Amino acid sequence: MCVFLQGEFILVSDKHTDASFLIHHFLSFYLRAGCKVCFLGLVQSFSHYSAISQRLGVSLTQAREKGQLVFLEGLKESLGVLLQASKGTRTMDFLRDPSSGLRGLYDFVRDNVRGAVGGAEEWGPPVLLVDDLSVVLSLGVSVGAALDFSHYCRATVCSELQGSMVMLVRCEAEEEEESDDEGSERLLRGLIHQCSLTLQVQGLPTGYCRDIHGQVEVCWRGQCDKQQAQKKLFQYKVHDKGASFFARGMSSAVL
Amino acid sequence: MLLEVLQGTEAGGFILIQDSVNYCGRHLLKSCINAALKREEVVHVLGFEVSQEELNDGLDKTSAQRLHFHNAYSDPLGWTGNSPFTVHQFTLEDIGTLLKQTPQAKAVTLVIDSLSWILRHHDPAAICQKLQALKKGGVVRAVIGLLHSDLHQRGTVGSICHLATSVITVAPGTRGLGAFAKITRRTKSGKLMQDEEIFSINEDLTVTIQSKRSHPGSTPMNTDESEVDPTANLTFNLRLSDTQREAKEKLPLPFVFSKEKKSALLHPGTGSGRILYEPDANDDYDQEDPDDDLDV
Repeated sequence: MCVFLQGEFILVSDKHTDASFLIHHFLSFYLRAGCKVCFLGLVQSFSHYSAISQRLGVSLTQAREKGQLVFLEGLKESLGVLLQASKGTRTMDFLRDPSSGLRGLYDFVRDNVRGAVGGAEEWGPPVLLVDDLSVVLSLGVSVGAALDFSHYCRATVCSELQGSMVMLVRCEAEEEEESDDEGSERLLRGLIHQCSLTLQVQGLPTGYCRDIHGQVEVCWRGQCDKQQAQKKLFQYKVHDKGASFFARGMSSAVL
Repeated sequence: MLLEVLQGTEAGGFILIQDSVNYCGRHLLKSCINAALKREEVVHVLGFEVSQEELNDGLDKTSAQRLHFHNAYSDPLGWTGNSPFTVHQFTLEDIGTLLKQTPQAKAVTLVIDSLSWILRHHDPAAICQKLQALKKGGVVRAVIGLLHSDLHQRGTVGSICHLATSVITVAPGTRGLGAFAKITRRTKSGKLMQDEEIFSINEDLTVTIQSKRSHPGSTPMNTDESEVDPTANLTFNLRLSDTQREAKEKLPLPFVFSKEKKSALLHPGTGSGRILYEPDANDDYDQEDPDDDLDV
């Protein structure tokens, strides 16, 4: 009987489209569920996520003040590293020396994903959100270092603390796969091997549509052999207050 | 052949399970481990990719004392400072130390989950040397490794496959019929055997073969569906009578160069154009026919 339970590692990937709406969804979902959230926002500012979460009904500022949300504002931290070489924590060390890998970033996650000892509030299982992991590749970090980082995060967050992890990976279109040794495709494949659920977001194969913004392929990489065959395809539309999902051809615009 | 490979190998065997993102080979790896445990063998697992709980899930509990999991999952690179086993300890000496935990075992099977993890941190050539030494050295009876073939260059994957005595490449099956396995087996005498099978793994980790020699690309044999005759029920005639069929077969194809065609082209009949050639002083006029050596 396959009854092994641990936290989920959910991998969100996109190609030729923008899957960050899923990150906003997961962020507000887990905050509303009362989980302790550690968010590595590497590509946008805090106010960006805050504004969108406000529309989804969650206040990031309040969550941060209460201690429920730990937010790493990658853009602001990187300025500190680049402008003043002496200051800055080891978290963004990879900016100064990409070959050193993401160990500093992992240390940040490890220190912040546990609940505070003797804290006033009891939060639910910890959640790690990363938006997005593929940006470190353009900063000179190797695919191997990024995969090591996600491995360590999974070992700590999912296996040890029974929490969940959601990572966004964005793929560029690569023409030749053989020569693509250090590209985002290889990172994506390595992460798929590590995760338990993938959400692959793409545009519609037929092109742009006003009422259907794209499709999501959901694949379970289960612990049981039976689960491996499970793949589902949904279409989605992004609204002001979230996204709606429906089966193919069932959009209200076409029915 | 898949079941034979799973049932046991001769000493010095190296079974390689190759998978990709489309189908996870770990379930088959667990079947191998379970089969080895049921054969009363001692199994040592170098676990880099999944935790002990996840790997043990579903394995035969009664033989749990013969299974030794070496935790290389929680800290494979030594970042926390007190790691049970790191990837840099993948050497003959360190593996020998691990195996000394069970000195009385006669048949030790070493399982590596996964080789891809080690290949990411070591030079492929060095890994091949260590694997070869493990195979030949008599320290372990058999080695079973899992490799994610889409994470490495073809040359690296090829080198590791070359070392293996059996390679099982797994892929998803068509139409949910189970998974597809391509097995390549090399005997001690050097004979190479290949087979393709569709299999599925049951709840108790035993493997059931569903059918043999079915390519994932081709459609499976469907005896329920009768053959549909495309020339029936049409408003025009697509069939040929016997005389028509004979005439069709007699017709020479346009670009087949037969003797008649060659002479017809080389000796044009009257009425067609003639070429009059007056060679210049500068022309190099060779009387020989340049097409003479053509074997048409």
